[in-house]
Amino acid sequence: MVELVVNGKPLSVDAEVDKPLLWVLREDLGLLGPKYGCGIAQCGACRVLVDGKSTPSCMTPVGSIAGASVVTVEGLAQPAGMLSVVQQAWIDEQVPQCGFCQPGFIVATTALLEATPRPTDAEIDEAITNICRCGTYPRIRRAIHRAADMLAER
Amino acid sequence: MARFLSRRGFLITGAALGGTALVAAVGGVGYLATVDVDGLHGHLDGERAALNAFLVIQSDGRVVVNVPRTEMGQGIHTGLAMVVAEELDIPFDDRITVEFPTEAHPAYSVWFNMLQIRPEEASGPVVWVGRRVLGQLGFIATGASGSTMGMWHPMRVAGASARHMLLAAAAARLDVPAAELATADGFIRHVSSGQRLSYGELAREAALLPPPDRPALKPVSEWRIIGRSQPRVDLPAKVRGEPVFGMDIALPDMVHAAIRHAPVFGAKVGRVVNEAEVLAAPGVRDVAVIEGQKVAVVAASWWQAEQAAWLLEIEWTKTDADGVSSTEMSARLGSALASTTPYEHVDEGDTGSVIANASTVVEADYTVPFLPHACMEPINATVFVRDDLTAEAWVSSQSPMAVRQGVARGAGLAGVEPTSVTCNITMNGGAFGRRSDQDVVAEAAFLAARHRGRPVKLIWSREEDIARGLFRSHAAARMRAALGPDGLPVAYDALVATQSVIDSVASRNLPVNPGPDGDRISVEGLDKLHYAVPNRRIRSQHVPSHMPIHFWRSNGFSFNTFFTESFIDECALAAKADPLAYRRALLRDSPRHLAVLNRVAELAKWGTPMAPGRGRGIAIEECYRSVVAQVAEVTVAADGEVRVDRVFCAIDAGLVINPDAVIAQMEGGISFGVTTALMSAISLDAGAVVESNFHDFPMQRLANAPAIEVAIVDSGLPPGGAGEPGIVPVAGAIANAIHAATGRRIRSLPLAVTETVDERRTRTVLPPVPT
Ligand code: FES
Ligand code: FES
Repeated sequence: MVELVVNGKPLSVDAEVDKPLLWVLREDLGLLGPKYGCGIAQCGACRVLVDGKSTPSCMTPVGSIAGASVVTVEGLAQPAGMLSVVQQAWIDEQVPQCGFCQPGFIVATTALLEATPRPTDAEIDEAITNICRCGTYPRIRRAIHRAADMLAER
Repeated sequence: MARFLSRRGFLITGAALGGTALVAAVGGVGYLATVDVDGLHGHLDGERAALNAFLVIQSDGRVVVNVPRTEMGQGIHTGLAMVVAEELDIPFDDRITVEFPTEAHPAYSVWFNMLQIRPEEASGPVVWVGRRVLGQLGFIATGASGSTMGMWHPMRVAGASARHMLLAAAAARLDVPAAELATADGFIRHVSSGQRLSYGELAREAALLPPPDRPALKPVSEWRIIGRSQPRVDLPAKVRGEPVFGMDIALPDMVHAAIRHAPVFGAKVGRVVNEAEVLAAPGVRDVAVIEGQKVAVVAASWWQAEQAAWLLEIEWTKTDADGVSSTEMSARLGSALASTTPYEHVDEGDTGSVIANASTVVEADYTVPFLPHACMEPINATVFVRDDLTAEAWVSSQSPMAVRQGVARGAGLAGVEPTSVTCNITMNGGAFGRRSDQDVVAEAAFLAARHRGRPVKLIWSREEDIARGLFRSHAAARMRAALGPDGLPVAYDALVATQSVIDSVASRNLPVNPGPDGDRISVEGLDKLHYAVPNRRIRSQHVPSHMPIHFWRSNGFSFNTFFTESFIDECALAAKADPLAYRRALLRDSPRHLAVLNRVAELAKWGTPMAPGRGRGIAIEECYRSVVAQVAEVTVAADGEVRVDRVFCAIDAGLVINPDAVIAQMEGGISFGVTTALMSAISLDAGAVVESNFHDFPMQRLANAPAIEVAIVDSGLPPGGAGEPGIVPVAGAIANAIHAATGRRIRSLPLAVTETVDERRTRTVLPPVPT
């Protein structure tokens, strides 16, 4: 049994402690937003926030984060269903193509803007290392700046 | 292009649509005989009133558009829904949803694309053959950048037809002539009395009316949706992380499977050494050998199945390919370039003797490696064979036809013949040609037939995808040109050595194989017919190997355009001409191409000075009935690090439905092309693929993504393709830019060596100058 807070809800999961958080989320908790893309912390499709930090869940044994708060892409929108600022910027810039990589980018960007509200391009390059095979990079960059602008205006 | 339609042209063209058409031609006959042929009759289905095969109106006025083409990121669901909304005269908003129909209706088939005609131009016997023969075969696939050109007109007619039926229903209800009625925003209004009825309240009556024979289409001048960028219908669910992909399918009682394929293609399973051990691993229910060639593990969760699969010790049989390395593969390409018996695709004039007698001859050889597709969503399929032997599949596939074939084949291998197959096509997490194959479906169906009564979801690990799946072929070309006194080519001779994709696809999937000769895909992009050259010879030499070759975004263009556009630059250099001016001269008889070339040159400010170490390169291609040109700007540092700073792109894709989607496809194609040009290669050692995941098969990331500017050129022509053209000129433009920056001509892809910066970042560095 591992205790976690997932998208604000405290729960305990009955999983082997070495099972990666990604598969606990997908298989034990039915949260399918985090994606499997590589399993080796390369692509970022599986990124979730663990205590606010963008983390590749595919390489995070669930036992290693007992007690932590985990936020997946499903947990970013407001309870009423309103998109988060980052998600809205993603829509405004029409970022996704296939969309498979995008939960990971949205999570990574959420963490980046928390730490660095007005990131420069260089800071973005440094922080956002996810892979998008469809090549949505120019729009991702625009959406990150747009989200930063939106957050600054609030 | 007609000259390329050899006697096998028809079959080859069909197969190019995504790898399934050939399969369908052989296997699909007869299974749709009961479905209405023309597809535009309405019917009622509970709350849903289907006005025709493409369009359902619910009583609350919401509209469901049936788009029988796979959404794999290209925005086709949005584009075709826009066309319907335009003709139906409804706003393009969130009252429209798009579904991929599960039924294999003839109206959904790709017969227009197979016959290489535009639906709006089709008439007479061609339509009869298309509808009555090809349409009935259930050829439904998404590929060859053909969805807009094949479907926009039929869906326009569907929208117009439904609007006409709604008007007729309103006229009957209000007892007024239809001519006194007007539509707007999903309502019908009687102009003089002001009475108003919604589409929702009329839909049930309208659905039962006969469809009009030739409904009038909205004049272009009244378009409010087509040609104006609209937001993609699928994006809200995607940014929320909703489970829309095949990999996200979750069903009651589902079991999960992982798989291991042979490291050397063609090897068979000799023995599973530790079957008992693997069966005893947590959650494992089954270890199954499929077709003697692969081993699957079925478990309660995928994590358990994959963990157990890592434990597998498999003895694979020896094959002839066990000793094959990349060096050996290159040598095979090299000897194929010396072939005395290549297949001749084009022979105009007297190329051989003009070159033999010319005073200036330019010659160069080029090569590209094998490549996997590396779709972001790993390959997967979910199949359920019920106890009553009905089957259902959920697959992120480019082709329901391939899914049905895969289910039948896989279940058949387990001795089960499903009585019916329901096919659900999910969103695809990238496809690029990969998801037109039936391989994973057949594997999942085999397992589902063994585990009847439980759905089985099979997911390939990333390692299986990169190293043990399907590939774009390697290729080499020998290019020769004789230059005339003005420096322009008077003879152009191109020979490509590559493994025929048609031969490989057919040998894996079909009882008959048209063979490699005359495979048109091998020479796509090699002919450069738009360049005015009096003598031209285009040949190909098939180079067999053990590697399974498949359709891959832009197919032959993905290598040939790199060869040809690099080579044209080399000719320009020999003629001491500016690469842009040289191409302009060659395109003097092709105003459409010239317009695109000039537009990209203007966008890139061609000719303005650049700092030392920087350079620009240009390339152009006609493909998928579009013309695309790009200018790449690179910076090469003193230590050889090469960065693509910006890429400019001009595209004439004919009539554009959703401009923002075309721009996105150019951006995406360019990114795909930059990865291909600078980073990607599959290598072989002892017959097996060396690379296995993104740590050794690097991909572009944000830090090395160029800025991109796209201009859409409007030629007034009907729609062309957009999914593939974006990738086509990239590698040539970058190779030319590197030459402009450094004076170095690199003739093989990838152009650079990828070095590791840190865990997830890389940089690309030019290879050392050969001494
Ligand atoms: S799946 Fe975790 S980083 Fe790729
Ligand atoms: S949108 Fe397809 S991988 Fe990023």
